[in-house]
Amino acid sequence: MMHKIADVEVQHDIMIANRKLARKNQRILDKDKVFSVDVVGAIGSGKTSLIEALIDAMNYKIGVIAGDVISKYDAGRFEKHNVPVVGLNTGKECHLDAHLVEHALHDMPLEEIDILFIENVGNLICPVDFDLGSHMRMVVISVTEGDDTVEKHPLIFQDSDLVVINKVDLASAVGADSDKMVNDVKQINPEVQVIKTSLKTGSGFDEVIKAIDRYMRDH
Amino acid sequence: MHELSMAQAIVDTIMEAAEKNNAEEILEVTIEIGMLTMLNSEQLKFLLDVLTEGTLMEDAKIIIEDVPVEINCRKCQYTGLANTDGSDHYLAIVLCPKCGGRDVETLTGKECSVKNIKIEKSDDDA
Repeated sequence: MMHKIADVEVQHDIMIANRKLARKNQRILDKDKVFSVDVVGAIGSGKTSLIEALIDAMNYKIGVIAGDVISKYDAGRFEKHNVPVVGLNTGKECHLDAHLVEHALHDMPLEEIDILFIENVGNLICPVDFDLGSHMRMVVISVTEGDDTVEKHPLIFQDSDLVVINKVDLASAVGADSDKMVNDVKQINPEVQVIKTSLKTGSGFDEVIKAIDRYMRDH
Repeated sequence: MHELSMAQAIVDTIMEAAEKNNAEEILEVTIEIGMLTMLNSEQLKFLLDVLTEGTLMEDAKIIIEDVPVEINCRKCQYTGLANTDGSDHYLAIVLCPKCGGRDVETLTGKECSVKNIKIEKSDDDA
């Protein structure tokens, strides 16, 4: 039997496949008029605490997709606020992708909510590559990660709509310059709104609510 | 480290194309990785080797091509390669090399694509 060698054009982009799924997710959300916020950020920056505070303070019906390597810890925290929660275990994966979110959307009572927060895995690197189909991306970092954290992870700030720098009450204790962090974000993305917060003292928190409100109205 | 899931998606894509074309062996695969993706080519290569042990792709030569970053400046209408000479690794991405503007659209550099594969197959299938 003769053998021959053949060149096969494949031209299949895995990133585009994810983006297509992301657009599908957005159509699912739009159908039920749900505004969705992808919450990304460093480990321990206060993503879960911020979402908990927003659930309590905002005059909207809120749902949460809690993505984590093991999601039950965060999901359990959200459930105490009596909102619909879908936990997404990523297992070994370091980020959510559009396919995982699509599954979670099926389990979320979208017709009952106005805002869906999707809490991503704590990570400033991998989520950059994966659009989930949300309407807005909020990055949450804190001064305790060091004031060079923005410079070290520029791409996530370039692709974001709102940046929250949390735990500013601890800045002097850890020797971090929060103004430097704000300036670094502005270098990368001059248009983005940056808000310094302390969820402990409540400073800056009202501004976060206003910013999300504004995005909801404008989107 | 999402190279593992990307590597798996790449392998699935290649296997599907190989089976569709009745490949008996995959000799070579060419993959394009945009320089703006958070993917490390060396890790990706290693994982592709691990994932394809004992498959049609086991002995394939893996070629990874970096796709440079091209931008379109909304301010001065410059279209072309971003300046990647700077020591500041992000300035090249957000600054137009011509006018220094930051309002730029990224045209290329975010790819993770299986471009083509070279396969060996029985001539009977031709």
